[in-house]
Amino acid sequence: MSQDEKKGLLEKTSTRREFLKIGCKSIAGAAVSMTVLGFLGYSNAADVTGFPLSTGLLISDASRCTGCRRCETICTMFNDGKTDPYIARVKVGRNYNFGRDNITAAYRTNDGVFGNFMVAADTCKQCKEPACAAACPVGAIEAQEKTGTRVVNESKCVGCGACAAACPWAVITVDGETKKSKKCVLCYQCVKNCPTGSLKLIPWQEVKAAVRRHA
Amino acid sequence: MSNITGWAGKILRVNLTDGTFKAEDTLKYKDFVGGMGIGYKVMWDEVPAGTKAFDPENKIIFGAGPLTGTGAVCAGRTNITSLLASNPYNAVSDSHMGGHFSAEMKYAGWDAIIIEGKSPKPVWLKIENDKVSLEDARYLWGKGIFLTTAFVAGKMPKGAQVAAIGQAGENMVNLSVIMNNGSHSAGGHGGVMGSKNIKAIGIRGTLPVHIAADRRDWLEVDKEMMAVIGANNNHVVPSTPQPWAEYNAARSRWTATDGLTWGAANPPVNTGTCDPHDLNSVGLRTQKAVFDHGAVAEQYTVRMGGCHACPIRCHSTLHIPKLEKYGLSPNVSNTCVGYSSPGGIMIQGHSKEGEEGEGTMMSKAVGAQLADDYGVWCNYSQIGRDFKYAHESGILKKVLPQEEYDSIPWDLLEKGDPEFLVDFYRRITFKEGELSRLGEGAYWVAKAWNFGDDYWNSSSYNMWSKLGFPKHHSNETAAQVGSLINSMFNRDAQCHTHVNLTGSGLPIEIQKAVIGEVIGSPDALDAPNSYTPMNEYKAKFAKWSIIRNCLHDSLTLCNWMWPMTVSPLKERNYRGNTSLESQYFSMATGIPTTEAELDLMGERIFTLHRALTVKQMGTVDMRNEHDPICEWVYTINPDMQPFTPGTQKMDREDMQLAFTMFYKEMGWDEKTGAPTKATLIRLGLRDVAAELEKLGLLPN
Repeated sequence: MSQDEKKGLLEKTSTRREFLKIGCKSIAGAAVSMTVLGFLGYSNAADVTGFPLSTGLLISDASRCTGCRRCETICTMFNDGKTDPYIARVKVGRNYNFGRDNITAAYRTNDGVFGNFMVAADTCKQCKEPACAAACPVGAIEAQEKTGTRVVNESKCVGCGACAAACPWAVITVDGETKKSKKCVLCYQCVKNCPTGSLKLIPWQEVKAAVRRHA
Repeated sequence: MSNITGWAGKILRVNLTDGTFKAEDTLKYKDFVGGMGIGYKVMWDEVPAGTKAFDPENKIIFGAGPLTGTGAVCAGRTNITSLLASNPYNAVSDSHMGGHFSAEMKYAGWDAIIIEGKSPKPVWLKIENDKVSLEDARYLWGKGIFLTTAFVAGKMPKGAQVAAIGQAGENMVNLSVIMNNGSHSAGGHGGVMGSKNIKAIGIRGTLPVHIAADRRDWLEVDKEMMAVIGANNNHVVPSTPQPWAEYNAARSRWTATDGLTWGAANPPVNTGTCDPHDLNSVGLRTQKAVFDHGAVAEQYTVRMGGCHACPIRCHSTLHIPKLEKYGLSPNVSNTCVGYSSPGGIMIQGHSKEGEEGEGTMMSKAVGAQLADDYGVWCNYSQIGRDFKYAHESGILKKVLPQEEYDSIPWDLLEKGDPEFLVDFYRRITFKEGELSRLGEGAYWVAKAWNFGDDYWNSSSYNMWSKLGFPKHHSNETAAQVGSLINSMFNRDAQCHTHVNLTGSGLPIEIQKAVIGEVIGSPDALDAPNSYTPMNEYKAKFAKWSIIRNCLHDSLTLCNWMWPMTVSPLKERNYRGNTSLESQYFSMATGIPTTEAELDLMGERIFTLHRALTVKQMGTVDMRNEHDPICEWVYTINPDMQPFTPGTQKMDREDMQLAFTMFYKEMGWDEKTGAPTKATLIRLGLRDVAAELEKLGLLPN
């Protein structure tokens, strides 16, 4: 794929829906040589300014996800000391029965356990240009010095929800009890405990065709 | 932030008659733990003896427990308690479903939902945290479970979980289910919802479940749990030799091996060697499709599935394009009897077309999907055996009007064509003709069609009790232990404590040593088909099995996995950890509770079940009216004597002794098997004792 083609594709994939369309239909075929990071905006590391790249990101291999949702429970027990799938940084439950999209008449063959059984975890992409950070009115979302992981600085966070509204993947949530924004810090607990090895933390250099249907 | 931990703290009461709701305090039920325990307590307090299952006075309780939704391992069960229409006395029973429903209930802030009365028109119950409403369900009436779920979920925020009945439940078929997540069904209570005009419950919760303990302690116990856990049914030995394994056992559900795949995954997923120390392959251990259907199913296996927070995935999800030929979705999911019971309806065998085993798999897959959409229950596969008996004995020809008999597609049955099931399940669901009586359950069918003694007394039909339920891990599982367990409930026993040990795959010497440590003597367990006479440790083993089962359905944990009696780890000498339930309970609720103290709560719950049965049957004589076993148990292998190697035959006098010893262990009257006043008081059930006394239902 030429640089121009790549650029064109990235412009097209500016929204989540577009990404999914391309990600679902063609990543296993034509675009297999292109890195998933490319889809996520990491097309050219040299271009990066402002936010440094994250060294890795969390992905879910949908062919292995069985929808047990232990990632959600462990994520929140480890990070929040309670079990709360609503604020989990990995979100599976909402896709469980009928997939990511709205329920249609074709629900018996669409994604989800009422359809083709495809259940995928929504994960934080550690975006190159994090919309969450851009939207935050108090600059509470920062890149960690060593890893580049985008994290919420809770001492700054005012719980306004601007990040959650801006996140194109809808994986950031404000905790109703602490009024703090909760986003993935790449703590690795979900990966460590995923019973089928569906969740993986992948160094961005190595991300190639590992994600076959959904990132 | 709420101070209550473990429990959500509130119970939702829904009165369908007047459309009102009430939030009640869960903690008034805390001595009954949750789930099953709450269900029995509500039934005891609120449903008068003599009420029938489909009366508006009956209630139905959906229960979660203090561990549901916490992320404790295998805590995804929903316990449903109500009167059971297929039981001759309509005695109380539980139906259980896995899936994600009860966890969502907790996340919505509810420990249980009590549904009472009868709605004047079809409704569904909508719950979004504390926002509760009854919605018009007239447009859903007549629809199957899959479409109903899609409609209800479509009216709710993403992530909602839905429990629904199909047309069978609407039509008050005794054998009908309540289902969530497309394949997780609770058998026997669908008609109760139908009788109350409630089609479904949709729940979306966005609240946390809190625990009392420090998160680090919780995660430590989680780690211990994940170290001792096995495969489905807690089988801890692989079915084939593996590099890490000292033992293997052919019937183990730990079927994973290098080269065995989820063949229809894209790309196929290799189940692999699954070293027990590898946390990332725990969910691959059980390839349930090939266990349930044989090797033919590997290529159709999309993946495994299962319940909330459970790393053991025991449902197989299959993509079989040929299903479309029957007007069905190519996608089907289920496990175990969900597949085998429709297979059992094909009483003339299965089509031999295609690959080896394909015909059988097709019957099971077609039937599973039909039964799951209509919401038909099988009475633990008894519906097929009842059909078989009625057909083979010639009774069916006599009781069915000629026209109806001739309308049954016998040619399809003879050919083993699964299309037969399309016709069969439709008749059952819509109560079409006399054949549909099969949906009333064994007791009622046998009565109406005058089944002969050979039905009850032949081991061919698996009947355990004259109350109309079949054996379910009975005398073939630890002899008197399984037999006692099978006689104690009002439907087929759903206890797996004992069978998980005997099926674990470990050598009998290790099993005996382990149970000796738990119960007090290795004599609690006999080697398969090599039984010894009754002893007190067998009575203790049966008691322990049942009270753990009751605890699990109250906490709620899955008794298809729990307790963790054994482990796959040689370095632990295959020892599990039977204190994990009490550790989780203590950490979740903040109430320090020992293993023995928690077991006492299980004893309380089970004794309340017994008291409910005494009250509903109106007799204390449980020994003769409730507990008897069908004759075949004592008469099989006519040439062999009990206690000789090679037979599962039981001895009459020895079994009576077994009941006596079991009643004694429970503190029940040794003559009648009814709970005594002293025991009820010891268990904190003084009010129960008082009411039974008033009714003249306490033993002398």
